[in-house]
Amino acid sequence: MSTTISVTEKLVGKSVRRREDPRLITGTATYVDDLKLPGMHHACILRSPHAAAKIRSIDISAAQSHPGVVAVFTGPDVAGVGPVPCGASLPGLRVPHHAILATGRVYYVGHAVAVVVATDRYVAADALDLIEVDYEPTAAVADPEKALEPGAPAVHPEWPDNVSFTYHQEGGEPEKAFAEAEVVVKQRITSQRLVPMPMETRGCVAEYHAAEKSLTLWSSTQIPHLLRTLVGQMLGLIENRVRVITPEVGGGFGCKLNVYAEEALTSFVAMKIGKPVKWIESRRENFLCTIHGRGHVDYYEIAAKRDGTVLGLRLKLIQDLGAYQQLLTPAIPTLSVLMMPGLYKFRNISADIVGVFTNCVPTDAYRGAGRPEATHGVERMMDLLAVELKMDPAEIRLKNFIGNDEFPYATATGLSYDSGDYAAPLKKALDLVNYRELREDQRKAREQGRLMGIGISTYGELCAFGPSPATPAGGWESATVKIDPSGKVTVLTGASPHGQGEETTFAQIAADELGVPIDDVIVLHGDTAIVQYGIGTFGSRGTAVGGAALYFALKDLRAKIKKFGEMMLESDDVTFSGGVCTCNKTGNTVSLAQIAGMSYRAMRLPVNEEPGMQATRFWEPPNFAFPFGAHIAVTEIDRETGHVAVSRYVAVDDCGNIINPLLVAGQVHGGVAQGLGQSLWEQAVYDDTGQLITGELMDYAVPKATMMPWIETAHTTTPSPVNPLGVKGVGEAGTIGCSPAVVNSVVDALSPPGVRHIDMPMTPEKVWKVLEGARA
Amino acid sequence: MKISGSYELALPPARAYTILQDPAILARCMPGCDHLNRIGETEDGHVAYEMKMKMAISSVQGLFAGTVKLADPNEPSSFRLIVEGSGKIGFMKGEGVLTFVESGAGTDVRYEGEVNVGGVIAGVGQRLLDVTAKHIIKKFFGKVVGAAGEME
Repeated sequence: MSTTISVTEKLVGKSVRRREDPRLITGTATYVDDLKLPGMHHACILRSPHAAAKIRSIDISAAQSHPGVVAVFTGPDVAGVGPVPCGASLPGLRVPHHAILATGRVYYVGHAVAVVVATDRYVAADALDLIEVDYEPTAAVADPEKALEPGAPAVHPEWPDNVSFTYHQEGGEPEKAFAEAEVVVKQRITSQRLVPMPMETRGCVAEYHAAEKSLTLWSSTQIPHLLRTLVGQMLGLIENRVRVITPEVGGGFGCKLNVYAEEALTSFVAMKIGKPVKWIESRRENFLCTIHGRGHVDYYEIAAKRDGTVLGLRLKLIQDLGAYQQLLTPAIPTLSVLMMPGLYKFRNISADIVGVFTNCVPTDAYRGAGRPEATHGVERMMDLLAVELKMDPAEIRLKNFIGNDEFPYATATGLSYDSGDYAAPLKKALDLVNYRELREDQRKAREQGRLMGIGISTYGELCAFGPSPATPAGGWESATVKIDPSGKVTVLTGASPHGQGEETTFAQIAADELGVPIDDVIVLHGDTAIVQYGIGTFGSRGTAVGGAALYFALKDLRAKIKKFGEMMLESDDVTFSGGVCTCNKTGNTVSLAQIAGMSYRAMRLPVNEEPGMQATRFWEPPNFAFPFGAHIAVTEIDRETGHVAVSRYVAVDDCGNIINPLLVAGQVHGGVAQGLGQSLWEQAVYDDTGQLITGELMDYAVPKATMMPWIETAHTTTPSPVNPLGVKGVGEAGTIGCSPAVVNSVVDALSPPGVRHIDMPMTPEKVWKVLEGARA
Repeated sequence: MKISGSYELALPPARAYTILQDPAILARCMPGCDHLNRIGETEDGHVAYEMKMKMAISSVQGLFAGTVKLADPNEPSSFRLIVEGSGKIGFMKGEGVLTFVESGAGTDVRYEGEVNVGGVIAGVGQRLLDVTAKHIIKKFFGKVVGAAGEME
């Protein structure tokens, strides 16, 4: 028996550098477009230039006879393929049949009409130009409010009112609250359409093995297992003969939390021609046919007493759905309703959603998915109320926060907030900016005629999705831990990380629990042939749910390791720590490698133990987790140009326990960048005829590094009782906290000239016009 | 997109009116025009031409095929121009009225109408559409005077 003791430093809580980065920054990572299979062909897709049109005829003959073209398919050819699935259900929901190629009609610009397969991508693209489509354009509608007007063009002729669903939710006694209110403030607030814009566009490669009737589909997705199940169904394939592999994924932000027509279409084509087929989305296609986010027009009313106590909140929410329901499209605005109360004691809530079809690409989950819209709404309303009552925006928030002694807190929307100390991050943020001094600076700035603003947002977030009954596809997550005979550890996670860094954080957790060096641990994910069924990465769930599953698998293994240790040390007083089992009486030890080796050699086994060293757990979370925080943005506006400069940005986030501060900071930075993008620059604009006129990066202003302020991050720590790691999730916090802080700040800056509200994006042009309007 | 403007042509109104309805002149003067063939009169009495024209805007360029129709003739003071075309980079539809007002020794040609584009040119070219249209119109009228002179 060895007596070597290896002591490993605890890694959870440390800023371990991302183990993913070497391959990413040296350009050696493999993305879908890096795949080259023998005999691989290339698909390009012809897309509709019209927002609404009947297809009179399609002539593919010239394309078919173009040298290098192997096949051309149109709508009728794919009639046997099942529709693109909508996984969300609501009472009375209208779900249009979403064929993978348009048949008879097109419903939005970018709608797939035909696919060309050729030996070369450029040949396929050239051949697209040879297809003649005879369209009969019809009237289109792109604005959700206009789509609701009587006589508006019908997106789907069978539903002339353009309404996909209505949804009402109520808690408490909203009528009474508004009747008794001393003050009611109303405002129309929009959250514009956004393009999620991952650096890597979508793409897939499909290879069909006819002899085995098996399909391998490489796709840039957030949900490999769900994709396997759903694409298999669309194509009529047997599930265990479909393998989905997600190579490196260059960002998802929700837009790859979906099942797309192209994934089934590429597979269909590969099956038809008997060759592997690659389809890579161009950037222009990404604008036109990957889901957009947001698309809200919200009418808010807040009821309060004159002392600032909030009583009730009412919302009429118009959700622009686009032309189809994608995987979660109709569910997204229901998340907004759930999070309407924010961090405040709103006991009376009333919300009405109307989901509206438009001749636009469908909306769906984009970083935050429903919660940024809700937070933006409630945080704007709190500021509007503060202005109305001439109260300080920090003061009105502190007055209405749910108290520390009220957790778990049942909201009027039916949620149970897990834990919180909502005043703590706000107080910390106020301290960090020296709030009193800052207001004094503002007073002086105003005396000099400068437009300086201070904006506060205190957000709450519904994440760690989630209990299975409350999610469309199951909300659990899975983990397998395998220890090889040599003692090396392999973690298989059903979450499919794509930039969140779980190859690092999960290795930290496993290394700590098993007491092994982090280099002894590898984390595998994103291959349905290797990894047990999993749900995927979205809704800030990777660590809070997937990490918890991992924790329990590790716990099982620790128990098994200890039993082997007891057997090998011939003692019932054994401790497993630091990667060794130690007999507490003799001090003798056996290493994990020795134990693992014994478990496979199996010359002897502990009573009731099987050989091998592997454990799998599927963990069902009992609740969501609810992170929270406070963001403060200080802005200064150039009167002459309308340019908004963010001079200071402080983010204090409480995401529960932190596994890796470096990665948490990265998530906050990325989230704030996207939040600033929405606040100040980004907007997907369709013109009245349904043409997307922001169709490239020259027109759609994604923030560049030089446009970002310095982001000061800090934390408070309120562990979540929902999972054993005490984590809450942080992937979306930055996006959720950001936009109300920035808009509140700009409105604060513009308040001396009398501006009360401004909608996003607050481009220089818009701010300048608002200023001109206020002057007039 | 609404489009309007005016151009001073050094020709009397009657001449300007005729010139701007002459397919040979139009074909020569429209930037990128490949050909323009009279295809006769439409049912509603418009004079119609078949047209092929090269268009370049922003980072895209391509060939448009379509029709040009002349309607509501009110010689020599106005007529209506209806242009429709489509190609691999999208489609365009434009309709406008040209009015001819005597101005000194020449004619003030005023145009007012609306242009809609779709497809790739809408997605990537919208911000340049206005300037591109103005540029094309300016170039067109610039050539018209020369072409008219040659025909004298």
